[in-house]
Amino acid sequence: MIEGVTHVGVNEWEVPVGYVPGMRVPGRFFLSEPLAEILEAGALQQLANVATMPGIIKNSLAMPDIHWGYGFPIGGVAAFALDTGVISPGGVGFDINCGVRLLTTPLEQKDVAGRRDLVDGLFHAVPTGVGAKSAHKVSPRALDEMMVKGARWAVENGFGVPRDLVRCEETGCMREADIRAVSAKAKQRGIPQGGTLGSGNHFLEIQVVREIYDAPAAAAFGLRAGQVCCMIHCGSRGLGHQTCTDHLKVLESATKKYQISLPDRQLACAPITSPEGREYFGAMAASANYAWANRQMITHTVRQVLGRMFRIEYESMPLVYDVAHNVAKMEEHMVDGRRSMVCVHRKGATRAFGPGEPDLPPELAALGQPVIIPGSMGTSSFVLKGTQVAMDRTFGSTCHGAGRIMSRSQAKKQLSGKDISDNLLSKGIMVRAPSDNALVDEAPDVYKSSDEVVKVVHDVGISRLVARLSPIGVIKG
Amino acid sequence: MSFRELPHTADIKIEARAPTKEMLFSEACNALMQIMYGKDRRSRDTIELVVDADDTEALLADFLSEVLFRSEVDGLVFSDAEVHIDGSHLHAVMHGELFDRDRHAGGTEVKGISYSGMSITRDTNGYMLEILFDV
Repeated sequence: MIEGVTHVGVNEWEVPVGYVPGMRVPGRFFLSEPLAEILEAGALQQLANVATMPGIIKNSLAMPDIHWGYGFPIGGVAAFALDTGVISPGGVGFDINCGVRLLTTPLEQKDVAGRRDLVDGLFHAVPTGVGAKSAHKVSPRALDEMMVKGARWAVENGFGVPRDLVRCEETGCMREADIRAVSAKAKQRGIPQGGTLGSGNHFLEIQVVREIYDAPAAAAFGLRAGQVCCMIHCGSRGLGHQTCTDHLKVLESATKKYQISLPDRQLACAPITSPEGREYFGAMAASANYAWANRQMITHTVRQVLGRMFRIEYESMPLVYDVAHNVAKMEEHMVDGRRSMVCVHRKGATRAFGPGEPDLPPELAALGQPVIIPGSMGTSSFVLKGTQVAMDRTFGSTCHGAGRIMSRSQAKKQLSGKDISDNLLSKGIMVRAPSDNALVDEAPDVYKSSDEVVKVVHDVGISRLVARLSPIGVIKG
Repeated sequence: MSFRELPHTADIKIEARAPTKEMLFSEACNALMQIMYGKDRRSRDTIELVVDADDTEALLADFLSEVLFRSEVDGLVFSDAEVHIDGSHLHAVMHGELFDRDRHAGGTEVKGISYSGMSITRDTNGYMLEILFDV
C-alpha cells in the first residue's frame, strides 16, 4: 500500500487533493498491486505537482509505467482548458516527439535467423550513439521544410512512400509548427542529425510476431504470426533538446509574469493563449515534425538495407503505425458532457484514440488506433489498439513502455556489457551497440516487465492487446 | 573537488562538492562531460563561453546547456573549465579537444539540464550541488 493514496478500484489509485499544497484536482494512476509496491515517492509527488497547474481538467493522470522524471512524472498525462490552462515543456520533456514506429516485412524468422550481417548492416547504415553524424546533407532551407512538413518532407524527398503518412499519428505533421519560434541554435543542431538514432533508450530492433491476440485488428494493421518486423525508437535529437532548453528559460520568466505559483521550477509554464505559450507550442510542433521526418529517414535506410540483403521490394515493408511519446497536442475530448478542444500533454505516454476518431486512417476507423509499446532489449514489445475507454478516462492515452526500475549507477555496479550481450545471444538475440556502457544502461534487468505494464492497460481497458513481438536483433543507440 | 552519481531510476543525478561556487560549476561541467564522453578527455583547444542569468541555479543550468550546445555543434569534448562568476554574469575558458570516436563514443548523450531536484547549498566545507541530467 502506498501512503496517502487511495486504492479506488482494480489497478486504479487516487491521489487526493491536499497530497501536496495547491492541488486543483485529484491525481489518478493505473497500476497493479505488484507494480505499486515499487512506485517511487518522487513519481507520486510529481503527479501531485501537476495537479496544481492552472486550468487542469479532471485529473492529473499517470499510466502504469509511471516513474520519477523531471517536471511531470514519466507516464504522466494532463489536459488543460484552452482559455484558463497552461502549456509547459515540463509536460513534454527535452526529447520532443520521442516516439516509436513499427515497420512490417514479408520475411519470416527462418529468413533472418542467425544473420549477424543484418544487425551489422543496420548498425553501420543508421548512425547511432553520441557524436554520430548523418550521412544526409540537409540545407538550412530543407531543415525549415522538415520542421513545417514533418514526415511528408521526407516522403517528398524520396525517403518513403505516401502510404507511410496515413500510418502516422497526425499523419506525421503538426500543422501548428512555427519555425520562427525555433532558435538559430536549435536549427544549427538539427542540420547534421537528420536520420540519426541518438543514444540512451533509443533503438532499432528486428522483431518477430510471436502471438496474435486480436486477429481482425492484427490483419488490418498488417501483422501476422511469425512475421519479421522492425521497430524504430528515437526523437527530435539536438534540435528538440535545444528547443526545450530555450523555451524553458522564456517560460520561467513567463511563470513570474503571469503570477503562476508552481511547486517545481521544471514545470515552468505560460497560459496557452499567451505569446510565450503560443511560441513554445509552435516551436514544439516544429520539433515534433523534425522527429517524424527523422524516423521516416531511418525507415528509408532500414528498407534499403533489408531490400538489398533479402531482395525484397521497398513497397513490401509497410508501416503499422508511428506514435509520439513526448508531446503536447490540441485535441477534442468530452469535458462536462461537451466535446471541447483541450491541450493534452503526454510525457512518456502514448495516444490511444478509440474507434471513430477523426485522425485515424479510414481503413482502421472501426478498430481504433494502433498503439506500439516497446519492451526493453530482451523483452517483448506489444501492439495494442486504442479504445473508447481511453477516450472517456485518459484523454485517449495509454502507457509508452516498460518503465525503468534500476538506476544507471546501480546497473553499472551489477552488470557487465559482455554478460548482457552473451546472455541475450543465448536467447537468440544479437546485439550491437556503440559501447558496453550503452548496453549496461539499457539492460533488460533495469526495466519493469513490459508484460505486466501492458496487462494493466489491457485490463483497465485504455487499450487492448493485438499482438506480441519479441526481438531477435537489437541496435542500441 | 569531486562528484558522484546518486541513484535515480530514469535519469542521471549528480552530487558535486567544491570549495568555491566557480569550482562547483567547473565540477558540474566535468561530470557532464564524463557522462557523455568518458574520462579520457585532453586539453588541446580553448574556447570561451559567456552566460547571463537571473540567479545561481539558472546561471548553472544555462552554463551547462551552453556547454552541451558548443560540444555538439563544434564537435568538442571539454576536459576542464575555468569559470569566473561576477553576479549574474559567467565567463568560462573551456579546454578540450575534437571528438574522437575511438576514445569518446562510450558515453550517454545528455538531452538537457533539469531544474527538478536542483539544489546548490553552502556550508563550512564549501558548496554542494545536486543536479539531474536528462539522458
